[in-house]
Amino acid sequence: MSRFLVVTLPLTGHAHRALAVADELAVRGHEVAWCGPEAYFRPLLGPDATVFPTGTKLLREQAGHGMAALKSLWQDYVLPMGRFMLPSVHRAVHAYQPDVLVVDQHALAGALAARRHGLPWATLVTEAMELTRPLDALPRVADWVRAQVAALVREGGLTGPFDPLVSPYLVIAFTTRALTGEQPFPDHFALVGTAMLERQGDFDWDWLDPGRRTVLVTVGTLAAGLAAEFYQRAAAAVEPLAATVQAILVGPPDLLPDPPANVRVVPSVPMLALLPRLDAVISHGGMNTVCEALAHGVPLVLAPIRHDQPVVAAQVVRAGAGLRVPFYRVRPGPLRQALETVLDDPAYRQAAGRIGRSLTGAGGAQAAAARLEALLPAAR
Amino acid sequence: MRPAAARREDSDMTVRDLAELLAAVTGDESLLSAGITAATRLEGDLFLDSLDLAALAALLRERYGTALDLAGYVAGLGIDELIGLTAGEVTGYVNRCRVGPHPGP
Repeated sequence: MSRFLVVTLPLTGHAHRALAVADELAVRGHEVAWCGPEAYFRPLLGPDATVFPTGTKLLREQAGHGMAALKSLWQDYVLPMGRFMLPSVHRAVHAYQPDVLVVDQHALAGALAARRHGLPWATLVTEAMELTRPLDALPRVADWVRAQVAALVREGGLTGPFDPLVSPYLVIAFTTRALTGEQPFPDHFALVGTAMLERQGDFDWDWLDPGRRTVLVTVGTLAAGLAAEFYQRAAAAVEPLAATVQAILVGPPDLLPDPPANVRVVPSVPMLALLPRLDAVISHGGMNTVCEALAHGVPLVLAPIRHDQPVVAAQVVRAGAGLRVPFYRVRPGPLRQALETVLDDPAYRQAAGRIGRSLTGAGGAQAAAARLEALLPAAR
Repeated sequence: MRPAAARREDSDMTVRDLAELLAAVTGDESLLSAGITAATRLEGDLFLDSLDLAALAALLRERYGTALDLAGYVAGLGIDELIGLTAGEVTGYVNRCRVGPHPGP
């Protein structure tokens, strides 16, 4: 039996992938402990999980979109979290004596601690920004990001070149070439497809009319004002389609106090149970939602807001599994048109199914766990 | 005789001209009445993203020739310059390019 220490961020898309892999490691007889904010991870992991707490850092809300959002992501979230978590991760490594660290790509403290303690570590790539390197098209921006990360590495007391975003041992990415394109990756990159985990949420199944097509609208965990406006436009887009289409909007019910009859607003949904009943998903393009939809062969209309979402949207459009609309500007008419296109043209569903088979056939959490086992001292 | 479109291109590109091109590449007619000035920020005020800029660069190139490389100009900008990129900076870049020897058809 071996010990793995998971270091990840209190964000659904990141933590859920790590949990799917951790569950598989446990099935294989390994011990898994976590390092992160206990207020987030304890409810997610349950009372029996080993959690080395970092405390919870309150961070100001990140800027809205585009390059300003990218700058804010690093300056106001990734770097402060790395700095904040590092002492706790060091303590966790001392106390737990793990054989391998499993580190989310944006949980930089995990990489720094692994390097400092000379332990093998794996990067979990849970979003699309760093894998295909889209920032290479803006070299001065890419340099800026590298400089930010390098400063944290120096602060962490490490000398020499060290990239905490990409483990030299193993990089596990939750995607496949069906989405990333044919660009080659080094041998220590494992593209394992989806590792899905059900989310909490009740659903009134009787509300679903089997005679109508069902569309899910979700923009993730956003600032309410931003989501409210988009949801109003989405509701206006589907309202005239009431004869054939019903829509579920995921968000706080006060986002849309008076929805049309064919629209229901629910705070959360059991996504994996619902997906087989869905005909399309309208989303901001978070990797989690997109990969889950594609794994169920559901085509997408994507309205990316920031960070890696435009990259994800471009991948989906290129693969033919969906359409992209501008989040801030799309009017109900064009949004309706995009939705009807992916609903009516079977090519989108076929492409989604094709990518979905690639995502679900790439090994998922089992492949990830097997690659992690290969990092254990006995295997090396 | 030169076509009307080409004749118009002999004068400097104005912010109004840019607003028309942006409306064309985004399909968003509201940009025409958005009161765009030289100080309007493409990202912060108009919510344009890198794909919109790429489409604008392609349209400018089609209209003014390959010497006009907005994508190259944008690729040379730093993160704060991109965040603050204004309509006036884009028209300024276009007009600077067109002062030089015209590539011709």
